[in-house]
Amino acid sequence: MLAQDFPQLASVEQIEEAFESHGYICSRKIATAVFLSFKLRKPVLVEGPPGVGKTELAKTTALMLDMPLIRLQCYEGLDEAKALYEWKYGKQLLYTQVLKEKLGDLLQGAVGLAESVDRLHQFGDIFYSEDFLEPRPLLRAMQQEKGAILLIDEVDKSDYEFESLLLEILSDYQVSIPEIGTVKARTTPMVFLTSNNTREISDALKRRCLHLYIPFPTVELEERIILSRVPDVDEHLRHQLVEFVHSLRQLDLKKVPAISETIDWARSLLLLHAEHLDEELVRSTLNVLLKFEEDIETTDGELRTLVRSSTDRQTTGVDT
Amino acid sequence: MQSNLVSFVQVLRSHDVRVSPAETLDAVDVAAALGYADRDLLRDGLAMTLAKTPEEEAVFLQCFDRFFSQGLADFSLAGTDDVASDESGAETSGEADSTISPDADPPGADTPSHAEALEAAARDSEALEALLETGLMRELMANDRNALTLAISRAADTAGLAQIEIFTQKGQYTRRILDALGEQHIRDAIIELEQSHSPALPIVQRYRDILREQVRDHVEREYLLHAEGRSSQMMDEILSNTRLNNIEHVYLHKVRELIRKMARKLASRHARKRRRMKRGQLDMAKTLRRGVANDGVLFNTYWRQVRREKPQILAVCDVSGSVAAYAKFLLLFLYSLQDVLPRVRSFAFSSHLGEVSSYFDDYPVERAIELINWKYGGATDYGNSLQDFAKLAIDDINSNTTVIVLGDARNNHGDPRLDILQSVYRRSKQVIWLNPESRGAWGTGDSEMLRYQSACHFSAECNNLKQLERIVDQLLKSAR
Repeated sequence: MLAQDFPQLASVEQIEEAFESHGYICSRKIATAVFLSFKLRKPVLVEGPPGVGKTELAKTTALMLDMPLIRLQCYEGLDEAKALYEWKYGKQLLYTQVLKEKLGDLLQGAVGLAESVDRLHQFGDIFYSEDFLEPRPLLRAMQQEKGAILLIDEVDKSDYEFESLLLEILSDYQVSIPEIGTVKARTTPMVFLTSNNTREISDALKRRCLHLYIPFPTVELEERIILSRVPDVDEHLRHQLVEFVHSLRQLDLKKVPAISETIDWARSLLLLHAEHLDEELVRSTLNVLLKFEEDIETTDGELRTLVRSSTDRQTTGVDT
Repeated sequence: MQSNLVSFVQVLRSHDVRVSPAETLDAVDVAAALGYADRDLLRDGLAMTLAKTPEEEAVFLQCFDRFFSQGLADFSLAGTDDVASDESGAETSGEADSTISPDADPPGADTPSHAEALEAAARDSEALEALLETGLMRELMANDRNALTLAISRAADTAGLAQIEIFTQKGQYTRRILDALGEQHIRDAIIELEQSHSPALPIVQRYRDILREQVRDHVEREYLLHAEGRSSQMMDEILSNTRLNNIEHVYLHKVRELIRKMARKLASRHARKRRRMKRGQLDMAKTLRRGVANDGVLFNTYWRQVRREKPQILAVCDVSGSVAAYAKFLLLFLYSLQDVLPRVRSFAFSSHLGEVSSYFDDYPVERAIELINWKYGGATDYGNSLQDFAKLAIDDINSNTTVIVLGDARNNHGDPRLDILQSVYRRSKQVIWLNPESRGAWGTGDSEMLRYQSACHFSAECNNLKQLERIVDQLLKSAR
C-alpha cells in the first residue's frame, strides 16, 4: 500500500472527515489509530464494551478505501483448518479416482518398481499444490492483489492456541503451509482485531498491535452519531434521548445500552412520531434499549426522575 | 527527543506499566509518524503502543502530563515589575524543547534600572562584582529562560536527581543542585551587602529566592516522576513481608491490589496447564490391538487421553478475633484465583461453622468477607466446628479434594475432635493447615496444633503475603 494511493489516509484530520462522509462519526483517537495502523503497518486491537462500533470501524474503513472486507468470526474451537487453509480433500479424492486410468498409461513400458516410482516422481506433488488449497479468511486476506481489510472479530472468544497462530500473520504478514512453504501477503492487509475482554489477551499478541480502547461516547459525540445515522430526528428530541441514555448508563445494569441501542431507539421513536420524551413513551419503548427483564425492572422505579432530569437538562441547555 | 522518549518509558516502567524494548521502538516510530507538534495527537498515539489495558492507560496519561508539561522556568522579577502579562504568555507555550525562542525579553525600562543599581553597588562590593561576572547571574538578569532551564536540568544531572527515592531527600537534592548552579556567589554577595546595608540587597535577595523556588519546583516534579513509582514498589516489597495483622488499616487497599497482582501472576502461570491436551496422543499399541478384529485394518484409532482432574478446594477459615485478619487475606487470594480455581468452597467458623460460598457469589469479595466476619465471629470451638464441617461436607470429600484449614488451633481447652480431622485426612487428597502463629508457639497453652498436625499432609506457618503466595503457588501445582 502506498500513501499516495489513498489520499483519505494522508493525515488524521482527513481520516476523520472521510469517516464522517461514510456515516461513521469517530473520536480523534480512533482516527489516530487508523492513521498509525496504516503508517506503521500494524494491526489494531480494538477493545471496548459491546455495541460501541468496534466492528463498524473495520467495515467503514473497508468502505472508505474501497477494499474487500474479509471477516473472521472467532469462537471457541476455531482452528487453522477453518481460519487459515484446508486441503480440498474431496477434490483430491475425486481426482485420484479419475486419474487412475491415466496412471496405467503413464506407467506403460516401465520396467520394475524402481522405474515406475521414478516416473511418478517427475510429476511432483500435484495433489498438494495451490490448486487443491482452500483458502480460509486469513489466507484469503494475504492473497488479495489490491489489499484488504481483515477483521478478526471477538478474538477473545477463541482459544489460547489460536492466538499463537495469529502471531506470525500479524507481525510478518505471512503464513507457513508445510506442504507449500511460506505464503507472503501480496499487499499488506489492514488488520483489525476486536475483543470484548471476556478474557485476557496474551501479551505476545497485544505487543504486536496498536491498542485502541473505545469507551462510550460523550453526549456531544453521540448526538453527532445520531444525527448522521438517524437524520430525521429533530434536534430537541435527539438531545433528550441522548441525555436519557447517558443517565441510564450511570445505573447499575446488567447490560448497559450501547450506541447501537441508542440508534435503534431513535429509529423507533421516529416511527412512533414522538416529539419529546415522556414517561409513558419511554416505558413502552424501553425494551429497545434494555435487553434484560431485570434491567427493565430496575429502571422502572426511577423512570420518572430519569426522564425529568434529562428533559430538564434540555431546557437549561436551551437557555444558556 | 528520542532520548526523551526513552526516559519517558523508564518513568512508565517505574509506575508499573510493562513496556518492552520492542514497544519502545514502536513508540519512536509512532512519534516519527505523528510529529511532535500536536501534543494530544502524540499522547493518543503513544498510548496506543505503550499502554495495553485501560488501567495502564490511566497511569500513562498521568505520567505523560507530568513528563511533558515541564514548562520553562520563569525568572522574571515577579511582583516588582509588571511581568504578569509576560508570564501568562510564556506558560502556555508548554514544551520543554529548547527550540522556542526566548520570547521573554526583560520588561523594558525596569531591568536596566536594576542592572544599574546593581552595578552601582558593585563598585563598593567585591563579592557582588564577582557575582555579576558569573554566567548564572547574567542569565538571571536577562531572564534567559532557555539557558536557565537547561542549566538547572544539567545541575540536576550532576546531582543525580533521577535517583531520588523518598520525599525526605527533596531538601538535600535542592541544596546540591543549587550548589552545582553556583548559588554560592549569590550568598556571598548577600552577606557582603548586608554588612554594608547596600540598597541593592533586596534585588539580589529576590533573585536568590526566585532561583531557589524554581529549583525546588524542578525537584518536586522530578520526585513525582521518578520516586513515586519506585517508592510504591518499595512499599509493595515491605507490605508483602509484614505480618498481616500488623498492616495498618490505611494500607489495606494497597494489600488488596498486591494480592490481585500476585493472584494474576499465579493465575497466568497455572492457567495454561489447564487448557492443555484435549485429544491426546495416538496410542499405537492399543490401536493395533483393536485392529485385530478387522483383519489388521486400523479402523478404530485409540487416542491416549489425559484425564482432566477437577480439583476441588475446601477452605475452612477460623474467623475469630485472633485469626480473622489472616482469613480475610486467604479468602481474598483464593477468590482472586477464580480463573484457575473454579471450584472453591469456603467455610467459616468460630464457635460453630457454616458454609459461606454463597456470600462470594452474591457480593464482591471484600464485602462478602465483612459480612462473614460479622456473622461468624466469636469465641473459638474447634471440636464443635469440625463436627459441623463433617456434617456439611464430609460426603463431598474425595481424592480430588484439597482441604485448607486456616486457624491458630487454640481451642480454649475443649475437645479437639481429632477423629474428624483424621477421617477428612483419609478421604481427601490433601489437608493443609495454615497457622498464623510462629512455629515456636505451636502446642503451647491451649494450642492443639501439634495434635492436629498429625492429621495433616502439610502444615505451615503463614503470616505474611510472601508465605501466603508461596503456599497458594504450591497448592496450584498440586491441585491438578
